Amino acid sequence: MRRTALVATAALIAAAPLAQAQGFPDGPITWVVNWPAGGGQDTTSRLVAERLSAELGVPVVVENYDGAGGLAGMRVLAGAKPDGYTIGMLGSSSIIQQYTTDEPVMLDQLAVLSFFGPDPGALTVKADTPYETLEAFVMAAKEQPGDILNGNDPPGGASYISASIMEVALDLTLNKIPYKGYAPTVTALLGGEVHSATVPVPQVLEAHKAGDVRILGVMASERHFLAPDIPTFAEQGFNVVAGDFRAVVGPAGIPQDRAEILSQALVAVLSSAEFVAAANAAGYMIEPLGAEAALARIKAFDAQVYPVLEDAGLVTNPR
Amino acid sequence: MSYLADALIGAVTDPAMLGLCLFGVVVGLVFGALPGVSSTMSLAVMLPLTFGMSTPAAMMLMLGVFFASVYAGSVSAILLNIPGTPGAMVTVLDGNAMARKGRAGEAMAYALIASLFGGVVGWLLLVGIAPVIAAYALRFGSPEYAAVVFFGLALVSYASSGDTLRGLAAGTIGLLLGVVGRDVVTDVPRFTFGTADLQGGFDIIPLAIGLFGVAEALSAMERAPRGGRVQAPTGRLMPKARTLIAELPAALRGSFIGTFIGAIPAAGSAVAVAVAYALEKRLSRTPERFGTGIPRGVVAPEAANNACVGGALIPMMTLGIPGDSITAVLIGVLLLHGLRPGPGLFENQPEFIATIYAALFIAIVLTGLVAGFIGLRVFNKVLLLPRRLLLTGVLMLCLLGAFSVRNSAFDIWVAVGSGAVGYGLIRLGVPILPLAFGVVLGPILEENLRRTLMIHGDWSVFLTRPISFTLVMISLLVLGGPLIVRALTTLAARRRT
Repeated sequence: MRRTALVATAALIAAAPLAQAQGFPDGPITWVVNWPAGGGQDTTSRLVAERLSAELGVPVVVENYDGAGGLAGMRVLAGAKPDGYTIGMLGSSSIIQQYTTDEPVMLDQLAVLSFFGPDPGALTVKADTPYETLEAFVMAAKEQPGDILNGNDPPGGASYISASIMEVALDLTLNKIPYKGYAPTVTALLGGEVHSATVPVPQVLEAHKAGDVRILGVMASERHFLAPDIPTFAEQGFNVVAGDFRAVVGPAGIPQDRAEILSQALVAVLSSAEFVAAANAAGYMIEPLGAEAALARIKAFDAQVYPVLEDAGLVTNPR
Repeated sequence: MSYLADALIGAVTDPAMLGLCLFGVVVGLVFGALPGVSSTMSLAVMLPLTFGMSTPAAMMLMLGVFFASVYAGSVSAILLNIPGTPGAMVTVLDGNAMARKGRAGEAMAYALIASLFGGVVGWLLLVGIAPVIAAYALRFGSPEYAAVVFFGLALVSYASSGDTLRGLAAGTIGLLLGVVGRDVVTDVPRFTFGTADLQGGFDIIPLAIGLFGVAEALSAMERAPRGGRVQAPTGRLMPKARTLIAELPAALRGSFIGTFIGAIPAAGSAVAVAVAYALEKRLSRTPERFGTGIPRGVVAPEAANNACVGGALIPMMTLGIPGDSITAVLIGVLLLHGLRPGPGLFENQPEFIATIYAALFIAIVLTGLVAGFIGLRVFNKVLLLPRRLLLTGVLMLCLLGAFSVRNSAFDIWVAVGSGAVGYGLIRLGVPILPLAFGVVLGPILEENLRRTLMIHGDWSVFLTRPISFTLVMISLLVLGGPLIVRALTTLAARRRT
């Protein structure tokens, strides 16, 4: 983390005169959020936009486009003039939608500017279920396929994909029950309508601390900073890495020099200690990566998720 | 309790805190009165302002915006026949009918008083018995949810004016419109005709703006004499004390309904106002007067709508679950300040919980003062505008509001199209309300019904769980009641002969 920050700072110092020399940006930047105001995508966007505005010295205006499960906003983003004055937040659902919707926005229609951070999935069970450990849960799911009710997003949503990746990797069958987002899923878990859920850690952390639910494992390569006492799946002998992520993108075709200015400014913002503290306090993991590394991460997710979608019969727009 | 007193005194004696809350209330009143600017959007716009504030200051500002904007939805509903939010959809019926009779001033006063009353009852229940209500809200699983929406639909079909057949037809059109878009259970797009615009389904706000606002503007052009004013002057402002007291039981019932339904995560104010209005109509000895412009038709839903604010805060404060999209933004504010609402915060930081309660109470009081002493007079002036100015302005606001909900040009066409449909329905004497509720409640009913069947396998679950059993039985009684009564009277008549 510290090294990235150093690199970013160095890059920033190098970039500053460049930015002035070219006069980019010299006007307001529009930041597209493809979900309604108030959600995670919106909150993270506003956190970055405010600081990016200070970094670049121009206003960064957040605009929410709701509709078509996030596709409406992505279409605005991909269709914008590639002059660097329209950028926005990309989530894992947009990668999934490439294959599951009519008229999708494909990854190659976008220019990836930076990575924001992962939001790993976790497996949580209600406290009064008999599953004390991840191993007990996996054993039970194998013994009685389809008996364990697992609350998650509608097919194609992030927590549905997390559950599906877990099913495929561990060769077990859950009864996946769809809810419209994280809040209703957690409500159903607390109310006992489902036995388990695959939502990210921050959503269930407080209920876990209160003893109402048990987080059995985190689907990431490292433990979650908010819950350092909860082991990862891998630590418990199960190789499952899944979850949501966020990245900052613009329409494809942004001139190279402008894309670099934006990318460097974003990495600088995302690496600042003040920003990381604010984002962590709000429950968001930050992993500032430049354009190339970010694209590699997104492509890796793309490669991981496609077979899962195919397996679930969700692909309507094959590769 | 002493924490609460301390927090209240602390906030009231701090001019900066009061000033922030006042600012929030003014912003909320203006935004809420504009059709298409929802409470959620108002809060999100103010969100960046709170970054640099202390947490209590941020909550002061946000709760001011929250409560004032929820109340102000009634302004455009009464004066212009445009419900800016689903929660104000029922207020349109009697509120605008009163305005048309030249009683706009009174209707606005009733709405304000009922809103404040509902707000305070919701607040009292939040402060007093939040954990009890939260425990009850958690018992609402998918079957209960499906049953309560079925109950709401049954009550709406009963409550809508005019003949039942036309009401049912309108409701069915609404249910069909609600089917459009991605299906929540399977994520398969339905009736989208291959276009991306329809994948998200019809948003209720552009539809309601068209059905109520645009259609009303079109009919008003026809109705009002050339060059004159659209509506009679606003009339007296303050209702008589005696009539106010007569509305007290309705306000109380509405407030309880609002708080309890508001506390069920994601149930929302639309269900609460539908239930509150229909219940009053059912209890009334003169149900035929509902919809013609009677205070009770304004009081019950407005009390319910604003009691939802306290209700929605209940699961947020005790469980950390947002009660609706507005409280989701509030949770966002707390998270950005490093506070994670949930059982831990609720039990271990009573001082902080008390500051939130105090902030909401001050927001309610300030909304009452600002709206009562300034708002009512200013808002009512709108009706004094010449007809051509007012109607053009209304149409512009309608289209702007429809666009701003999702920043979508397609939604402008939805508003225009549903405006034409709404105008046609008015001419045909078909009630619009069941259609609007079909669109709002249909998808919720479908989602929960299908999930119930996925989890429990068969329909008997609705009869074996006490809450859903009760709700289904009452719904059936509401729907079948008149038939049973008629059957019994014919039977009795036959015996006698």
